[in-house]
Amino acid sequence: MSREAWLDFRLYVITAQSNHPGKPVVDVIEQTLIGGAQIVQLRNKTGTRAEVLEQAKALRLLTRKYNVPFIINDYPDIVIETDADGVHLGQEDMPVAEARRLLGPDRIIGISTHNLDQALAAERDGADYIGVGPVFPTDTKPGRAAVTTSYVAEAARHVSIPFVAIGGITLDNVDLVLAAGAKRICAVSAIVGSDDPASVCRSFLRRIEAAGGKAEIANKKSLTVNGRQELTSARTVEELVQQLGQQNKKLIIELNGVIVQRAQWTATELQDGASIEMVHFVGGG
Amino acid sequence: MGDDPLVIGGHALRSRFLFGTGRFPSPAVLQQALEASGSEVITFAVRRVNLDSVEDDSVLQHFDEKSIHYLPNTSGARTAAEAVRIARLARAAGLGDWIKVEISGDPRTLLPDPIETLRATEQLASEGFIVLPYTSDDPILCKRLEEAGASAVMPGGSPIGTGLGLLNPYNLGLIAEQSGVPVIIDAGIGSAKDAAEAMELGADGILANTPVAKAQDPVMMARAFRLAIEAGRLARLAGRIPKKRYASASSDWAGSLFEAAAAGEGVSGGGET
Repeated sequence: MSREAWLDFRLYVITAQSNHPGKPVVDVIEQTLIGGAQIVQLRNKTGTRAEVLEQAKALRLLTRKYNVPFIINDYPDIVIETDADGVHLGQEDMPVAEARRLLGPDRIIGISTHNLDQALAAERDGADYIGVGPVFPTDTKPGRAAVTTSYVAEAARHVSIPFVAIGGITLDNVDLVLAAGAKRICAVSAIVGSDDPASVCRSFLRRIEAAGGKAEIANKKSLTVNGRQELTSARTVEELVQQLGQQNKKLIIELNGVIVQRAQWTATELQDGASIEMVHFVGGG
Repeated sequence: MGDDPLVIGGHALRSRFLFGTGRFPSPAVLQQALEASGSEVITFAVRRVNLDSVEDDSVLQHFDEKSIHYLPNTSGARTAAEAVRIARLARAAGLGDWIKVEISGDPRTLLPDPIETLRATEQLASEGFIVLPYTSDDPILCKRLEEAGASAVMPGGSPIGTGLGLLNPYNLGLIAEQSGVPVIIDAGIGSAKDAAEAMELGADGILANTPVAKAQDPVMMARAFRLAIEAGRLARLAGRIPKKRYASASSDWAGSLFEAAAAGEGVSGGGET
């Protein structure tokens, strides 16, 4: 699967053996894949390295069968040994740069973040995606204060790499998370702890899809570009230039009557109703 | 003319030809014509990009950026405020701070609005621009523009693109005579002879676009302009003869084969009897 393709995931599933005593991890995860899970993470904080390696091998085979990327929490060495697609790191784990050095440029590196500073740092350091949470209090991470949907909303505004909302998300509260701007959802106990993981996954995907449709319209801004009305999802001047396919021109840009230097395009946010002029030089006497 | 530079805003130019880049049949012809012209200053306009095309269709991609002075114009502006806005946009491109103020007061003649041109010149000069206003051929206005901080004044010979030549050589001569900054004749030049005439009147340079771009052979015409401007400049420096109503012979009468006979008939000089 290409890097671009895995970016499209909407539903992220993580193993949590304690949530399904008596049922093998592989069976439960296969149910989630049948239900449409689009990326799988092996998370085993209590087992020995040998146990983790054994589970990783089994899940690698399973995720290949469903053509879904496979991520391992910690253990970059096991990622390499089992040819997993990437690693997921916590804030206390090794830095992104070190993981990148171990895993090379093509493997996925994800990081858990609990505030915007951590998110922006992860983005700068070259993470491929971040976890944003815990959104709600969760038994999977006892003692960790919930970041609430306000951090989800902040991430939606300021984070450019894919972010996945995680922590205490269930079918009862997922709509709040989606309304705050999340496009990717991770649920742990709500999925693997249920009697019918496949059906819960399908329900999550339906809710994500429905919110996506609403968000598409709600997130669009109405701008005047060179005197013409444009409906756009671009957040910054740079994104607008890209979306309009104008990036190969030597442009000068004016936003609401003020010139925006090229170096500021990425940092300059667009507000609904903004007026933009994109000009360049043509022949003249 | 290596020892006779045209100095504008502290920049010494070897060529006295300011080259307009509009309306050439193709980028290749434009490039060759510029080469043939010997010009070191090109003018161009600021326009909205075409959002329906992703190709870079800017005029600047056709030029070697190092060897040229850029003189963007404010064409399209109808007020000083609009011209100032265009000038600032042009400067944001990072190609220097020269600006040709061009504020049209009338769509049919495209003649410059004197009041707005003066205001814009004042404002832009105060912002550190090297301002070259396109102006009417009014000596008093040109004086005022100079006082407002213009680095050169650019009176028109006749309306833009008409090719009518110099409609008021008397005024242009007065402007050249009085001006403390270079005088560039801009607009209305129809052919090389107009350029030479303007230079002989005392202009310091010529800005032309349409007569080159729309000539049958723009590259050859660019060369013709180069030579005409150089010829006109040399003629000016050399000092032309005064005009007289009647003829004066190129050779002295003395020593003529018919001197004696003519003397007998009371003729003292000049021509046949």
